[in-house]
Amino acid sequence: MQNYQVIPITAADVVPTAERMRAAGRMLIMIHGYIDKDGNKLVSYEYATDQGIASYAVSGADVLPTISTIYSAAAEWPERELNELIGVEFTGLDTSSRLFLPDNLLEGDGHILVMPLEELREKNIKAKEE
Amino acid sequence: MSYTIPIGPYHPALEEPVHARLYTDGEIISDAEVFVGYNHRGIEKLATERNFIQTIVLVERVCGICSHSHALNYALCVERIAQMDVPRRGQYIRVIMAELERLHSHYLWLGIACHLLGHDSLFMRIWDEREIIMDVLEKISGNRVNYGMVIPGGSRRDINDDLRRELLQVLEHIVPPVDRIKDILLNDKTVAMRTQGVGLLTTEDALWLGAVGPHARASNLKIDVRRDMPYCCYDEFDFDIPVWESCDVFARVVIRVLECYESVKIIRQALENLPEGPIHLGNKIPKVPAGEVVSLHEAPRGQLVYKLVTDGGPNNHRLSVHVPTFRNAPTIPTMLRNNTVADAGLIIACIDPCFSCLDR
Repeated sequence: MQNYQVIPITAADVVPTAERMRAAGRMLIMIHGYIDKDGNKLVSYEYATDQGIASYAVSGADVLPTISTIYSAAAEWPERELNELIGVEFTGLDTSSRLFLPDNLLEGDGHILVMPLEELREKNIKAKEE
Repeated sequence: MSYTIPIGPYHPALEEPVHARLYTDGEIISDAEVFVGYNHRGIEKLATERNFIQTIVLVERVCGICSHSHALNYALCVERIAQMDVPRRGQYIRVIMAELERLHSHYLWLGIACHLLGHDSLFMRIWDEREIIMDVLEKISGNRVNYGMVIPGGSRRDINDDLRRELLQVLEHIVPPVDRIKDILLNDKTVAMRTQGVGLLTTEDALWLGAVGPHARASNLKIDVRRDMPYCCYDEFDFDIPVWESCDVFARVVIRVLECYESVKIIRQALENLPEGPIHLGNKIPKVPAGEVVSLHEAPRGQLVYKLVTDGGPNNHRLSVHVPTFRNAPTIPTMLRNNTVADAGLIIACIDPCFSCLDR
């Protein structure tokens, strides 16, 4: 069974952790994000280690530094996705265009993983009518 | 003279919804950009409205080629959070299906690659051989795609002893054609001229751009989840992880042929040593406590990453799906640079992309 370990960190630890991982030759598996029941944004940086998957998790931060300067496109696309779908801001990341959704969909606010499904349906119908 | 050349979406050579913008200096590509999102279906959003059985059906529809991989990886997430101990026979059947899926996926890509190279006779030959695998998959599951073989806690259908013996006989007919295909691909002048030295991705670039699967292994990066972080009894099978040093399109062709041998090796071991016992823990909706987990599965195109967050309720709180193309697509601009426009279609296709899965 794959070992999965969650290690809580703060926003200030994100870049030093990424630098340490890259220096150790660790692959960035993915950057994940979700919003918990209390409305906090949780972002986790998963790295491959000898022990399995190490998940460095930041809780409650709306703005995080980008690690695309360290992990290039391996971090850029996941960060753009999180910015687009749940609205996490990444300092230093170019988010002038969307990765997945059309730029004009949902009044410029494409956070579909935050929006309730019913509201999303109504907005979609309204957009199609227009 | 500088040009900007758009390719796609829905370009006839690729038949996948992706848009590439090539910045050229004459015939040579100086830079490129890749745009995705033409087939975004909101599957992750829909998953938050589904229970743990319904989600299996949903995630199987992320991809028509590697549907078993999606169902399997989702089930692994549920089982880890719920601490379900899957019977070994069920795990072996999952492995057999996963490797058959890898075989038919690699055959499919090799055929398309030959078509793009201009070697249509080999394309037809490979796809003809692929039908043997598709027939086997249909015999086991009843379907050619979307097999419905996985449930949380095991496999849905068993492989009885008659079918097991029959499958072992079929395996004997799979290897000789692979030998012939390998011989042609390694020695044919057309294949060599169109692929060798084309679309280079160095080992260093592959690592830091996040390449995975056969694409990474063709850049001499020896990574494979089945060996690095075993699951589903993969640590009980003897198989190699082929890598190739040339880091070009030719390497990506060779790697996929070599991996076919390894998949056959694994399937044979799984069939010969198929454990006795139940194949699942029952077919009721599992009670899943609050928790979160990340699961990796080596799908045919590379590392498939699932993150599941549960809150103790009947549905997924958050399901995150990242397919291998999400990791490999960002390497395309690097591979395109300093190549000719004529090779762009082949280079984009050489990651074995599934942009619809990427969009999900």
